[in-house]
Parts: sequence; structure tokens; C-alpha cells
Amino acid sequence: MSGAAAVAQSGGFTQPDPSMEHILDVDGVVVEIDGRRLLDRVSFFVPKGEFVCLCGPNGAGKSTLLKAILGIQKRTAGRIELLGKPVAESRRALGYVPQRKTFARDFPATAVELIVAALRGKWPLRVREAEREKARATLRRVGGEALLDKPLAGLSGGEAQRVFLARALVTDPALVILDEPTAGVDVKGRAEFLELLSEISRSDELAAILVTHNIAAIAKTAERIVYLEAGRMVAWGLPDELLGRAGLEAISHQHHGDED
Amino acid sequence: MLTWLTEPLAIGFMQRALAAGVVVAGLCAVIGVFIVQRGLSFLGDGLAHASFGGIALGLLLGVSVDHATWVALPFTVAIALGIGWVLRRGKLGGDVATGVFFAVSFALGVLLLGMRPTTAPPVNIESILFGSILAISPSNLIVVGVVAAATAIALFGVWSRLAYATFDPELAALSGVRVRALEYGLLAGTAVVIVVSVKTVGVVLVSSFIVIPAATARMLGRTLFGVAMWAVAIGMGAAAVGLVLSYHLNVPSGATIILTLGALFALALAIRQRR
Repeated sequence: MSGAAAVAQSGGFTQPDPSMEHILDVDGVVVEIDGRRLLDRVSFFVPKGEFVCLCGPNGAGKSTLLKAILGIQKRTAGRIELLGKPVAESRRALGYVPQRKTFARDFPATAVELIVAALRGKWPLRVREAEREKARATLRRVGGEALLDKPLAGLSGGEAQRVFLARALVTDPALVILDEPTAGVDVKGRAEFLELLSEISRSDELAAILVTHNIAAIAKTAERIVYLEAGRMVAWGLPDELLGRAGLEAISHQHHGDED
Repeated sequence: MLTWLTEPLAIGFMQRALAAGVVVAGLCAVIGVFIVQRGLSFLGDGLAHASFGGIALGLLLGVSVDHATWVALPFTVAIALGIGWVLRRGKLGGDVATGVFFAVSFALGVLLLGMRPTTAPPVNIESILFGSILAISPSNLIVVGVVAAATAIALFGVWSRLAYATFDPELAALSGVRVRALEYGLLAGTAVVIVVSVKTVGVVLVSSFIVIPAATARMLGRTLFGVAMWAVAIGMGAAAVGLVLSYHLNVPSGATIILTLGALFALALAIRQRR
């Protein structure tokens, strides 16, 4: 979504035009667990079709924010809305690709069952023909049509990644969230996957949030970066702004300024 | 050949043994699919030993071995929910949680048996530990049947959600599945199945009814439902074959059934190696 008008804000970072259609709103979100503040007043929004990268070092609060958006982490304060409604009310508008290490690889199931489970919201005892065709069409979009009837246990890392992406896309969501999707994948596989994702995001006007601690790997693909550090959003802007020397200094400056 | 099969079944206690054995085996097998898939194989053993504590408590309270089941039932369900609670806290592994509960409740059982007054009627500990499938009474059989029917209906009702939660609790929760309630339900259901099965196969051997059919079926089925069907068929088949074999060989029935299960497991392993 390069054509979007942009509004520059403090810190020299370019943020999306607030008049654009909002897919996800994160507004003043605070998460405290056992008295520790894991997220501190995080606010940003994702406009339609934008490919956002949620970055930050380990322990910055990325996973906590991700869980809060997914609705599996309670907020202490703040508001999170998907298409103007609480996430619990618009579940099908949200696709989720989990970290690969959490996949139960020895589960006796085929790719089509996994994809149909996302479609139905429960595990299929039997897959109907219409569901099968939907799963096949979605797998085709991610270049994995041949995987339809493959057992999950036999998939390579890259294949499993495509199947789980298809699983996230099958409900035709407005937003897809990916948690470190390229962890443990080689450089070539990572580049291919990011290219595929960026292409789908563009062609379908699908908003995406990719969570990673590796900002350099994603910089070419992302349209916007939300940068967290110690539970605070220290930058929200264009990749070039964050990767340049000035951007890094601004992060550092803003971060320390906030702490004073 | 046919008379070899039908001859033992002309006898009343053998008919009841076959009915109880086959139903208990099928019941344990289908529950076992979820237990094994969740990496909780040790749980069956733990809950069986916990049920021993419950039976001993019943005996101390002065009820008969048969009626002690009704004391063991809430006792074992409570232990199962306790293990579930510890599991959810996530600080201890399932094996550790089960190991602790298992040892403590078994020791409690031994202690309670020792506290019975010397005037109390003697108890056949061996039949509690190793089962007494040939001594199944018609009323035992009714209890087994009712529990089996209730479990089958409940499992059918939650199958799709339980399967999803077993595949990945996080993804299932995101789809709106109530994962925690299902987990506790599965643990409580397993406890009930184990308590009613203990009479048939005994405290020591019941977990093999849960683990072996499911472990064997996982090598044969491609989908979870397929695995469940294989597990039930393997469990029931082994129960019938083992029982008839034990009659002709004049050896203990429970042990013969489990050795039959073990042979089927080895066979499936060999088939998988050759594929």
C-alpha cells in the first residue's frame, strides 16, 4: 500500500494516514502480570492491506502484545479492536500462523484436515467436498496444492510453513498474524516465504503483522515497523527510517527520554 | 476351530468376562488415543494406583470390595483434577505431577488397608491389583455398560473440539474452543473409565489397556479418527482372543489379554518397519 498518504509524527517517523480504513486498532494497551508491567501504553493501528513488522529484542513484549491481540492475554488497560469490534467477536477476520516449534508434528492428520479445522473452528471428522475444494484453492495460493493430502508428520519445514499459512488464510481474513514464521528456515526459504507473503498481502489487500526479533531480515518486505523495547513502543515508522543511523539514534533517544 | 472359540462361551462367567473385557478394552482404547497423543501415557498408571487408594479408603469405611468402587470414583476423579491443575500451572511436567500423586495415593492405600481393624473381613489384595475378570458379576457388568455408553456419548459430543485441542491447544482456543474445560473433562473421564476397569483388569495392568491399543493404532491410522477406530478394534480383538486363549491354556486372563496386546504392538511395529 505505497500510495497511502502519510503523516509524519514526533521522532521523525512516518506513520499511516489515520483516515485510512483501520483493520486493527491497538490503543493504550497495558499488560501487567504479577505487578510487572510487560506492556506500557502501546498504541498503533494497522490500515487495510499494510504489511507491518513487529520488532524488538527478546523480552521486549512482542509475544505479550501478540497474545493480547489474539485475545489469549488479558489486558490491564487499553483497547484492541479488529474491524472496529473486539477480537473475540471477529475471530474469522484474523488468521494466525504460530511459531513452528509449537506444531504437534506427530499428530495423525493430513494438511486438508488442519486447514478445514480452521474453517470450521473444530477438527473435522469427515471433510466435505466443498471444504476440500476451498482448502485446495487456498493451498494453491501459497504454492502448496500438492500438499493437500500429505500427512503433517511427513512435511518439511518449508512445506509445513505453507500449510500453516494456508490454514491462516482459509477464512479470508482481513489480518493475518505470523509469529517468527521464518525461525529455523534457511536464508533462501525465508526470502521465498516473505516474498510470497508480501505478494498475497498486496494482491488481496490483506493486512499482515509479522513478529520477529530479526529486523534486518524483514526490512525489505515490511511496509511499516512497530518497534518495541522493554514493553514500550519506541518507534512506529518506515523500515528505512528505522534502519538508518538516524532512526537507531531516535529509538535510543526516545527510549531514554521516556524513562526520565 | 469353531468349537475352540464357542466352547468357553457356553459358560456364564465366561460370557460376562468376554462382555466386560471387550467393553472395557474398547473404552480404554478410545480414551487412550487422546491420552497417548497428549504425551500423558503415564497418567493411566497414576490414576489406576490412585484408585487403589480410593478402594482402600472404601474398605476402611467398611464397605465391600464391590461397593468400594463408589468411594474410589470421586477419590480418583479428584486426583485426576489435581494432576490437571498442576499440569496447567506448567511448573511441573506431567510425568512429575503424575508420579507424585501416584506414589502418594498408592502409599495412602497401603496405609489405609493396614489401619483396618483385625476383625474386618479379609480382602483379596491380589484381585484388586491384578483384576478378576472371571469373577465379574451381572451388576458389575451393568456398571461397565452404563459407563461405556455415557463415555461414548460424551466423547462423540466433544470429539471435534477435543481433537482440535489435542492437536494444538493454542490454535483451538483461538477458534473459540474451551480448551481448559475439555482438558479437565478428559482427565475426569479417564479417571471414571479407569475405576470401572480396575475390577476387570486390576490396578497394575489397566494402564496397558489405555496405552498399548493407542500406541499400536498410531502406527496404522492416518487420521485421528482412523487411529481411534484401529485402537478400539485392537483393544476389543485382543480382549476376546486373550480371554479365549487363557481359558484353553488355563492361565490368568488379564495377563493373557495384555500379552496379546503386546504381540499386536510388535506386529504393527514390524509392519511399519517394512513399509
